[in-house]
Amino acid sequence: MRILVIEDDALLGDAIQAGLKQASYAVDWIKDGVSADLALGTETYTAVVLDLGLPRLSGLEVLRRLRSLNNPTPVLILTAMDSVDDRIKGLDTGADDYLIKPFDMGELAARLRALVRRANGQSEPVLRVADVELIPASHRVMFREQFIELPAKEFAVLHTLMLNAGKVLSRSKIEEQLYAWGEEVESNAVEVYVHHLRRKFYPELIETIRGVGYLIPLNRNI
Amino acid sequence: MHSAGSLKQRLLLLALITVIAVWTGATAFTYYDARGEFDEILDAHLAQSATLLVVQASQDLDEIETEHAPLLHKYSRRVAFQIWEEGHELRLHSANAPAQRLAEREKGFSDSYINGKHWRVFSTWDESHEMLIQVAELSEVRDELASGIAINLLKPLLISLPLLALLLWTAITRGLRPLVKLTAEVEQREPDNLAALETESAPREVMPLIDRLNRLFTRIETSMQRERRFTADAAHELRTPVAAIKAQAQVAIAANSGTAEDKEVRNHALNNAILGCDRAAHLIDQLLTLARIDPMGAQISETCNLSSLTAEVIGAIVPKALDRQIRLELDAGENISVRGNPVLLRILLRNLIDNAVHHSPDGTRVQIIITNEQQNTLLSVIDNGPGIPEAELARVTERFYRPAGTSASGSGLGLSIVKRIAEIHDANLELKPVKDGSGLNVTVSFK
Repeated sequence: MRILVIEDDALLGDAIQAGLKQASYAVDWIKDGVSADLALGTETYTAVVLDLGLPRLSGLEVLRRLRSLNNPTPVLILTAMDSVDDRIKGLDTGADDYLIKPFDMGELAARLRALVRRANGQSEPVLRVADVELIPASHRVMFREQFIELPAKEFAVLHTLMLNAGKVLSRSKIEEQLYAWGEEVESNAVEVYVHHLRRKFYPELIETIRGVGYLIPLNRNI
Repeated sequence: MHSAGSLKQRLLLLALITVIAVWTGATAFTYYDARGEFDEILDAHLAQSATLLVVQASQDLDEIETEHAPLLHKYSRRVAFQIWEEGHELRLHSANAPAQRLAEREKGFSDSYINGKHWRVFSTWDESHEMLIQVAELSEVRDELASGIAINLLKPLLISLPLLALLLWTAITRGLRPLVKLTAEVEQREPDNLAALETESAPREVMPLIDRLNRLFTRIETSMQRERRFTADAAHELRTPVAAIKAQAQVAIAANSGTAEDKEVRNHALNNAILGCDRAAHLIDQLLTLARIDPMGAQISETCNLSSLTAEVIGAIVPKALDRQIRLELDAGENISVRGNPVLLRILLRNLIDNAVHHSPDGTRVQIIITNEQQNTLLSVIDNGPGIPEAELARVTERFYRPAGTSASGSGLGLSIVKRIAEIHDANLELKPVKDGSGLNVTVSFK
């Protein structure tokens, strides 16, 4: 779950980054429009938090360029502009949600979860594969009627695989969702997390497709 | 509110007073003119009557037995004559003539007062110089005649005065109608309606008033718009620091696991929340400064020693600059003065120099130069910072505009404040790159 935060205010950007990290997101923080445009062109993000009043390139222009490339990444606009016209303009340009400063950290995280859920075609706030239930809002996993505590990174790997249940994800694709820029990527980290997950649940939960990546199959009957 | 009274009543009163004055003047003139004419005509009559009596007296006096002649006309009572033999024996007189001689014996006109009555007398002698003939007329006759004419003139005025007043009142009411209409239009306005008053139907005399009012409306409208925009801008600008403080505080609350990592996150967030408060406070200070400039701008006629003001401001900033090894250098002639408001000038200087220090890399210098050039006094603040791209130079004095790449820690108001104060002092503000391309030169030229 990797989020791109585009915010030119140093203190606010810092807070959003810290807050989203606490919600177990990997967060990249960028302070101007041009760098944002560049990052969006090269990296894959689960969602984007976008301020409108950006130096060098306005937030709306960043959004317009993103959508013109058919990039469907969910975008939440976070701005001080609160008029209805501004909101309409933002949403019509391609934003998926609109939040006005000052905001509640918890609400921002919840809205991002909702965006991610909808982007993956889900309506239920709980991800379910066979007898594993993942509740993104509370960072908890239920397995056979029991809550299982997972460290943040393991949770993130499981979350990513369950969101994409039925699809094979490459190791690097999963890594991308785990680490923000500047975070040190441990070698074989994904293998280690997958190994832990298999041990905590059951080995067949995550399948290895040799040379390609990992997969949580849909509708497996146990 | 004290009022000068009704315009209508004033106009009516003035018109009536004018009419009465002119009419009375005309009457007085007529009276005196008529009086003079009567004097001549009646004097001629007196002389003629006397001549007739002379002729008669020389022929028939011996046959006349009665001593007085009858009255033949109503005015006859006021016309009298006496015929004196040798000038001292009364031979003949009219019935109304007084007993004593009407006048001296000399020939000609004279005035005499007998028994309280004023007679106009003509005296003459017959050819043989035996008979003194004196014909006299009561002077009141002449007064009565002249007064009669004057009264005849005044009568129609007195009768027509109420009618005249009524007509004038109607005319004045009609004449003032455009003014009444204008008043009604202004009166019925909504207090927030600042549209221009229409000028088509207005009389020429009130055009300057309407013109002034319209100009005032435009000015109020502009300043209200500016206020509204300012309030909106200010609210938006305050939202970001408040959002940052709130988010930092929430991060601090959430970092509650007690691990070393969480403790660090919490400390970092709390420190940032305090920084956020400082920044919001600075923004509020700058907003208040900007809001206070205009009322203060009314008093800009004091002679201010720019050199010493600048030295004073630099003194206050030096400690902060020294922390970053930035040297502040003042190059100013002694006692260079400008006309202005010292409080505002101090704010201008503080913002300019603060700005320069803020954008200067550590270990560089900021030059402040004050010179007199022709009639102008130039104040330049030159830093060695990154400067501002040419394309953005024009925009940096706009409120809340921050050029790309600047850390968002400033209020975005500093140069707006400088610009406003320069405007109030009728001074020119110029921003240009330093010649070698790095750094910014801000020059304020006071006229």
